[in-house]
Amino acid sequence: MSTVSETIPRGRSARRVRIDGWRWGGRAFLVFMLLYTALPMIWMLLTSIKSGFAAMQFPPQWWPDQPTLASYQKLLDPQNSVGQDFLRFFWNSLIVSTATTILSVIVAVPAAYAFSRFTFPGRNFLFFAVLLRNMFPAVIFLVPLFILMRAIGLVNTHGSLVLTYLTFGLPLAIWLLKGFYDNIPVQLEQAARIDGATRFQAFVLIVMPLSAPGIIATAIYSFIGAWNEYIYAYTFLSKNEQLTLPVGIQRFFSENTTDFPGLMAASFMMSVPVVVLFLLLQRYFVRALTEGAVKH
Amino acid sequence: MTIVSGKAEARRTLQSARSDVLRKMWEHRADYAYVLPAIAVMLIVIAYPIYYTIELSFFNTPPGLQLRDKIFVGFNNYGAILTSGVFWQVTFNTLIWTVASTFFSFALGFAAALALHRDFIGRGVLRAILIIPWVISAVAASYIWKWIYHSDFGIIGAVLVELGWASRPPNFIDSVSTVLPSLIVVNIWREFPFAMIMMTAGLQTVPEQLLRAAKVDGANAWQRFWHVTFPHLRNVSTVTILLLAVANFNSFIIPWIMTGGGPSNASHIWITHIYELAFGRQRWGVASAYSVLLFIILMTLGYFYVRALSGNERKDGGA
Repeated sequence: MSTVSETIPRGRSARRVRIDGWRWGGRAFLVFMLLYTALPMIWMLLTSIKSGFAAMQFPPQWWPDQPTLASYQKLLDPQNSVGQDFLRFFWNSLIVSTATTILSVIVAVPAAYAFSRFTFPGRNFLFFAVLLRNMFPAVIFLVPLFILMRAIGLVNTHGSLVLTYLTFGLPLAIWLLKGFYDNIPVQLEQAARIDGATRFQAFVLIVMPLSAPGIIATAIYSFIGAWNEYIYAYTFLSKNEQLTLPVGIQRFFSENTTDFPGLMAASFMMSVPVVVLFLLLQRYFVRALTEGAVKH
Repeated sequence: MTIVSGKAEARRTLQSARSDVLRKMWEHRADYAYVLPAIAVMLIVIAYPIYYTIELSFFNTPPGLQLRDKIFVGFNNYGAILTSGVFWQVTFNTLIWTVASTFFSFALGFAAALALHRDFIGRGVLRAILIIPWVISAVAASYIWKWIYHSDFGIIGAVLVELGWASRPPNFIDSVSTVLPSLIVVNIWREFPFAMIMMTAGLQTVPEQLLRAAKVDGANAWQRFWHVTFPHLRNVSTVTILLLAVANFNSFIIPWIMTGGGPSNASHIWITHIYELAFGRQRWGVASAYSVLLFIILMTLGYFYVRALSGNERKDGGA
């Protein structure tokens, strides 16, 4: 407060001009950011509705002369081999991401609750050990994990990916959820305990419903992480019929290097599920960050 | 000290003066059940790989040999790394990549969060659009930008030619001097939304009354920001910058897909280099030694990360 009262009041007119300057600066900046963010995505969409010939022109067709959905039809048609592959990759990604999401929530919820409520010895150590996972790049774990997966017979299965993805998602998931639980009054549980509920019942019946937004945010985060993951899928899976989307698309287009409309259409369709999911549920995500990561 | 049995422990009062860790752990035995699944997963997928990487860094694995036939070479792998020219080039690239990406992602994200803090029509839509690059897959982002930078049909090159600023489209990612900045632009595109989300969340915790009081006292916009808003955001800024720095240090997908580290190593950073050593050239020992060096750097960063976080915790306990 002292710093505030020390500041010197300025003349009214000078302040006016200054604030307006900031506001216009902010608007100009937002326009710039909008262009930076959106133009690449718009160009992706415009390219995806061109023919292969139309895309490879100089100067480019800024707007497609003859828009065509041929690339999308090719990718989504189960009759031809490209469509079969793409749909299979899509399905594989969906299975892996969904399984990861469900397991993440099952593992993270009790852990975050315990870190928030209980004061067992080693609590801080374990909490930070979990967070430290964020520090290490995937590449470090590739070789040993590959050997480990071979030892337990998970190589070339989706199980190896689910197990690995679980550990990416967990640290932030636990951290976010812990912040959420920190903000739910303990008194609510105590009241339930007095009414005869066990600690576990109080957890399931009182705390779980209240933390639903946090759980949803955690689930989105896990799903997006698993959906977009590339390195492990690239290393652990070798059979074509098991690939997930990022790796499948890369394999496919390393063979068809000039089919840019197809590549853009595939990139777009790969992005649709996560973007839609995120936009629908972003409210929960930002709120979870506010409650969990920031407020403390 | 003897291990206290459960029966003897039950007879004791809870207010026992001695703080016996084992007894405490026994009292809290049910609590561990909640964290056990998380810890078990972490141990399998983290502790074992770390141990194995350290072990492998002291061995040589000639190509064509099975991994279990490795040959002990002591610190040779480390010596080989530190005396190679590629190491210093890659380290320099990594440094530029990490610092530039982190700085600009944070600055742009923070500025966007501030500009979006005041309510206006379409704010929600604008915010949602700005977040999209962070949500889409880095593989998709890499392909989008690869197409934008394309040396014959890329749109940026075409615009530059149309405006008369260049006689022919420049080679953004095929030229040693421009490849790294070009990739950094892509990385910032993907990462500034994260900083924006974190700082948006942080801004919501700045007490309105303080800002209003400052305004009544005659503080202008900049003074309100510098003396009220910014001090409140110190913790969240630290955490955001550290998370960004670590994520950038560990980047892989964008350089790997867009250039594969080329041309002539100009866009190789540590992780892509390690990947190529291990999976491209089968030099597992050297790659592991690189990884161990990486551990050491990251543990140093991790120390600050934990300190920043526990700084928050302590303040929480005091409040």
